[in-house]
Amino acid sequence: MPSYVVMQPTTLCNLDCSYCYLPLRASDRRMSPRVAEAVAGDVNRWVTGQRFSVVWHGGEPMAAGREHLARLMAPFAPEVEHHVQTNATLIDDAWCDFFRSHQVRVSVSVDGPEQHNRFRITRGGLAGYQRIIRGITTLRHHGLPFAALCVVSEPGPGVAKDLYAYFLDLGCEVLGINIEEREGVNRRDNRHSADDVRAFWSELTSAWRDDPSIHVREIEWSLRYVAAVLDRTDGDLLPRRLDPIPTIGYDGSVVLLSPELAGFTHDRYGDFASGNVLTTPLAAMLRDPATLPWISEFVQGVENCRATCPYFGFCGGGHAANRYFEHGRFDGTETEHCRNSKINLLEGVLDHVRGA
Amino acid sequence: MSEELDRVAARIRDAHAELTPLLKVAHDARIGRAEAPGADGSAVCAWNHFENIPTFFNWNNRPR
Repeated sequence: MPSYVVMQPTTLCNLDCSYCYLPLRASDRRMSPRVAEAVAGDVNRWVTGQRFSVVWHGGEPMAAGREHLARLMAPFAPEVEHHVQTNATLIDDAWCDFFRSHQVRVSVSVDGPEQHNRFRITRGGLAGYQRIIRGITTLRHHGLPFAALCVVSEPGPGVAKDLYAYFLDLGCEVLGINIEEREGVNRRDNRHSADDVRAFWSELTSAWRDDPSIHVREIEWSLRYVAAVLDRTDGDLLPRRLDPIPTIGYDGSVVLLSPELAGFTHDRYGDFASGNVLTTPLAAMLRDPATLPWISEFVQGVENCRATCPYFGFCGGGHAANRYFEHGRFDGTETEHCRNSKINLLEGVLDHVRGA
Repeated sequence: MSEELDRVAARIRDAHAELTPLLKVAHDARIGRAEAPGADGSAVCAWNHFENIPTFFNWNNRPR
């Protein structure tokens, strides 16, 4: 049983970020309430035994509009938590009222100070930053807590200190750093020098240490692993089962494990979909997911990582989308994403304590 | 586990003295952020929902 599902209320995004992986972001294909009702049928049973979240993701989920989003949320039980990952450009007073009345937890996408947001652009090619920051300012004005996700396209020395200071000033409670990934329709090269990436993470650790008031996802996970190693409990850290992370596309199709695979097809793997909630209950699709060839290949890939990589205890195996979009298959092992966001992250944290 | 596969964990154990103060900073910071189990109503707690579930595989693979 999953602990959250990702839902795509619309494929449309009103921004056109250069590094975005989404293939259909220029068109407004909306999820029908029937899809939401079908998902809720299973979710409302699952939430009785555990916390459960619906993550509204897009496209830009707010581009679906409040009325439509409310119709999609309506079938879910009150106990289900709703989250939205948004570019913040559409946030206004009415949306803040909506977030509060529907108890939606908000995470914004912003890449740091204005000069770091040059890839976050409008459909007309104009800088999106002023619209982003206006939305975040409105969130703050309403006293709504928020998380932030930041894409770093050029990690290296001299970047992290200003970046972290920016997010301290922004007032986010949680920060996730995504080194740009080569996946989906984004085919930009994501190779970086190991020294540069380590320096980035090391400096971020230093900056965070000076004022650790933000929960920085990557530092938290690194230190959680480090503490487990020192306590000799690292063998208990990895889960015994994969979380399937179902992504429900606008049309009800379901892709497991990696949202980034939704909307793509391959001669050998097909469309990666496990089915459609309009014809098959989500729970039925999750009963034996490895019957899909690409998923069984991915599971083999995880085992290959376990057998060969000394960072496996920290990482748990490379992600499906990174394997596919970097290697063209799922059973390979180390990716550039592994190096940028796992291996050199941990090494950067260790560099920090060594004073390197 | 082979020596090769254990080499990263071994280096962490070797850096025990340097890592301990950093872990203390993290511990104190979590208390300062009130990231206690069962706490609710903030973005931190929402994210912790994801962090605290035993799904290490998706720890940096959630939506952007």
